[in-house]
Amino acid sequence: MRRNIRRGQYSFVFARNGIEALEVLADDPSIDMVLSDINMPRMDGLTLLEQIPSVSPDIRCVIVSAYGDMKNIRVAMNRGAFDFVTKPIDFEDLTVTIDRTMKHLEEWREALASRDKLVVIQNELDVASKMQSSILPTVFPRSPHYQVSARMQAARNVGGDFYDVMNLAGSALGLAIADVSDKGVPAALFMMSCRTLLKGSAIGTGDPGLVLNEVNDLLQESNDAAMFVTALYAVYDPSTGILTYANGGHNTPLVVHPDGTSEVLALTGGVALAVVPGYQYETASITLAPGDTVILYTDGVTEAMNERAEEFGMERLIALFEGQPPTDTEEPLDAVFEAVNEFAGEAPQSDDITCLVFRRSEH
Amino acid sequence: MDISSEIREHVLVANIGERIDGSNALDFQNALSALIDDGKRDVILDFENLKYISSAGLRVILMTAKSVQRQGGRLMVCSLSESVREVFKISGFDRIIPVEDSQEDAIAATKS
Repeated sequence: MRRNIRRGQYSFVFARNGIEALEVLADDPSIDMVLSDINMPRMDGLTLLEQIPSVSPDIRCVIVSAYGDMKNIRVAMNRGAFDFVTKPIDFEDLTVTIDRTMKHLEEWREALASRDKLVVIQNELDVASKMQSSILPTVFPRSPHYQVSARMQAARNVGGDFYDVMNLAGSALGLAIADVSDKGVPAALFMMSCRTLLKGSAIGTGDPGLVLNEVNDLLQESNDAAMFVTALYAVYDPSTGILTYANGGHNTPLVVHPDGTSEVLALTGGVALAVVPGYQYETASITLAPGDTVILYTDGVTEAMNERAEEFGMERLIALFEGQPPTDTEEPLDAVFEAVNEFAGEAPQSDDITCLVFRRSEH
Repeated sequence: MDISSEIREHVLVANIGERIDGSNALDFQNALSALIDDGKRDVILDFENLKYISSAGLRVILMTAKSVQRQGGRLMVCSLSESVREVFKISGFDRIIPVEDSQEDAIAATKS
């Protein structure tokens, strides 16, 4: 103890009673710990304990009490004393108690600092998440020839999915849906650049395969983290009713016919984007009949899990429209999100859920 | 993430757990890179027990395949459940990472 004091590890400030102690604490915010007797004139130790948090909330108090005075010791502990020592004071015991208190205080401060940092990071993530959602279109091109609606329900973390709807040359319409691997800030940044590159390429050419070729090659540059994105990009030509599309490792679209039957479009075998440099994506096409509805979605829909760890699956998605074919695009979108959320129940949403519905008008 | 591994005929065979998603992808990545760091040439990931893999898990597989390739080896996967096979098929990963039916088939494939 004396050695520790001589080494300058601890220094002491003295007060004759509780009131003086409070004055000293108010004057010197660098004090970490109070060692106080219970019986003191003017203000006793137990009252002091009650007053200390209002002066310095992070301070730790160790109470000195008479040996066997359990009643006062209990009151002191209930009033927030960190520890106690008994008289006659054993200096070795006191040293251990002081060291332990100081170590606790140090850890407590580290924990507080970490918590503050976490709060800052969480706030930044919330901002990033809002920025991400805000770039997704919520107002869609209107035409007598078609309707389109889309929505994303983000999981807690930033990252993941996006969709886009673009007016192209010659009244054509570009439709994109994509899912970036993993979550978090790196995924969010990757998603932003995917979206920008896709939009840029889409304006340049009307061929979905060429668009994915270009985006794939541009994403390869500086991708050390081996991020990748699955994307489906389609172009609809209202003058012919033909939907051309290319698939970069994404879930295949579902087409629901006006009679309530549906078909899952064939996989065209494309690899996720940013994986294989120079990959050539195939462009496929189908002719949509009047009243046909195309449903694009991410695996957040089909792989949504319930509390029994079962997946929502393709069958449930198809079953939603059996016998009740869509008459617009909002209603099937609502149906998908309602069904997935109801299925998931209390199970936490681990992935973004995104769906885009496109419908060729009857006339 | 528990991964048990053994050397079979000069090939590193790793048995992967039930689930790889965003919550354990980093552990999975660290465990795999520790396994392949000693420069074994070919690596087989046995997915016999794997029930679910998310895109975060696929990313780890991709990174591992790349680093195995840098060391001059190949990475293969085997014994995929129907749903995991579907994920490989849709994402196109089955075109860049060889998928074998069983461990025996995978070991035979490393010799070809």
